[in-house]
Amino acid sequence: MVQSGREAFSTLHSSDFNATLRFSQQAPSILSQQHGSSANIFSIPTAENPEQHVAMEMLLLACLRAGDDKSAKLCLEQLSQRFGPSNEKIMGLRGLYKEATAEKMSDLEDCLREYDRILAEDPVNMPVRKRRVAILRSMSRPLDAISALVELLEAVPTDAEAWCELADLYQSQGMSSQAIFSIEEALLISPHSWNLHALAGELLYIGASSAEVDTSTCRLISRSIRLFSRSIELCENYLRGYYGLALATSFLLEKQSLLSISQNDSSFDTQSLPTLQKLNAFAIKKLHDLVKSRSSEYDEWEYSQSELIAAKGLLDRLKESAA
Amino acid sequence: MAVQGLEQTILRDPALFYWIMFPITVVMILTGILRHYATVLMHSPPKPASTLAESRERLSLIRGVNLRNHACAVLDKESFEQRKSYMVAAYQSGAFLKDPANRGQPPANPMTDPAGMEAMMGMMKGNMMMMIPQTLIMSWINAFFSGFVILKLPFPLTIRFKSMLQSGVLTRDLDVRWVSSLSWYFLNLFGLQSVFGFILGSDNAASQMAQQMGAMNPAAGVNPFQPGQDPDKLYRSEAENLEVMEHFCILDGIEERILHNIASKEGF
Repeated sequence: MVQSGREAFSTLHSSDFNATLRFSQQAPSILSQQHGSSANIFSIPTAENPEQHVAMEMLLLACLRAGDDKSAKLCLEQLSQRFGPSNEKIMGLRGLYKEATAEKMSDLEDCLREYDRILAEDPVNMPVRKRRVAILRSMSRPLDAISALVELLEAVPTDAEAWCELADLYQSQGMSSQAIFSIEEALLISPHSWNLHALAGELLYIGASSAEVDTSTCRLISRSIRLFSRSIELCENYLRGYYGLALATSFLLEKQSLLSISQNDSSFDTQSLPTLQKLNAFAIKKLHDLVKSRSSEYDEWEYSQSELIAAKGLLDRLKESAA
Repeated sequence: MAVQGLEQTILRDPALFYWIMFPITVVMILTGILRHYATVLMHSPPKPASTLAESRERLSLIRGVNLRNHACAVLDKESFEQRKSYMVAAYQSGAFLKDPANRGQPPANPMTDPAGMEAMMGMMKGNMMMMIPQTLIMSWINAFFSGFVILKLPFPLTIRFKSMLQSGVLTRDLDVRWVSSLSWYFLNLFGLQSVFGFILGSDNAASQMAQQMGAMNPAAGVNPFQPGQDPDKLYRSEAENLEVMEHFCILDGIEERILHNIASKEGF
């Protein structure tokens, strides 16, 4: 079970569907094993392992993703047997299960009404409050979701997960400066997470690359280069950081050559040209190496297939534009 | 003083071992275990915030501390100044307070405030849990076993240890190596920590339950305020801390750092 717990962590944190599917297929065996041990009355009650409950929660999520509703139901029942149906987190998970198995729009609306009822009784039930945001989002009412999330963050301004979700929501509405603000708040809460740094860099890059080219976009891009660099500094082999760095530096190099004709640079605090060129070359080389070494290892390939394919695509594109 | 170089010999009944030393040790271990489980049983988790405003009042302070501690790692000057002025203004105007109307009034007396009372009761319970068994056992030992010399340490000690090892035996000439029963109790009282760690799993058993509930319920946040403390005062001091902060950013010059530290290692 401990082993599967660790596996479960990696499953949740990767967006890889294969791993999720494989993990959820183990559900019947894990569940029956649990059942067998609890059926024996004479067995000595061993100290329970907190990791076991985490693994059970992951299993629930994996089963729901893989469409195995029956096993998901069993997981939920075991958890609520242990912690009682009135536990906040269990309420949230039950809501999640209901949402996932909802077939019609009216079912979702029922869930929403249920959440509102729970929140009227206990306004600080955070798991349910978060589910409410998620359900509003999946009912494609993003503005309601944003206002619900802002209300949540008023009360709990130290929740990095919620800030990230808010950033994502704002970004989906095209409000990139708000999104950047939110991701910066999340970064203030956990300042050493390289994935958030890379994410902030991506948001800046997207915001800048979709706008018109002038000095302020250049400043945004150079900020995003700094954030990507920071994420590499925190995690040396972070593929996503190098991807962003390569992309942003090439973009800025291209644009600067356009801009520097009209105005002298160094009026704004961007990187100097030689540094940019060096960074760009370094990022591309490192990206090359990472793609090559990871593609040859089967495990790594399984784990981050989509990222590697994207990185390969970027390398090809950069080569083409250089040629 | 005892004559130097001459070994003091005392004939001890071996029954002293079975009827005094052994029972004291066993009783001490058992009370330790009992106390541990009683503490687990009586432990009440800190009460989570009951309204959104209360939760905001608690966590906004942590937000300010986070900003102060982590701003240099994340923010550039512009966004830092923006956040700083927002937080300072909100702290000073009391925008985060649970009920801004009560601002400036003296805090509720912890003796009459039910929340403060509860926290004090918790502390009381913990202290009582230590005091009562110790008093009982010590009086028990005093009544039944005082005055016995029950064991001889295998190594010599200086005279200073006499009061520690021979309490209850009032003989000036006795060698320091002899240990009295009352002292054996004290030695057990302070020396059994590692035995409890072995039996109960290094203090984890007491906190495990709380940990699990915490894992299942992350919103039950910490309360930075002690009972009877005025949040408004803490906010003001935090605002001052923020105001005097000098901004620097570790993102400055990161490109050179990357090129110097990482790229050179790759042989680039």
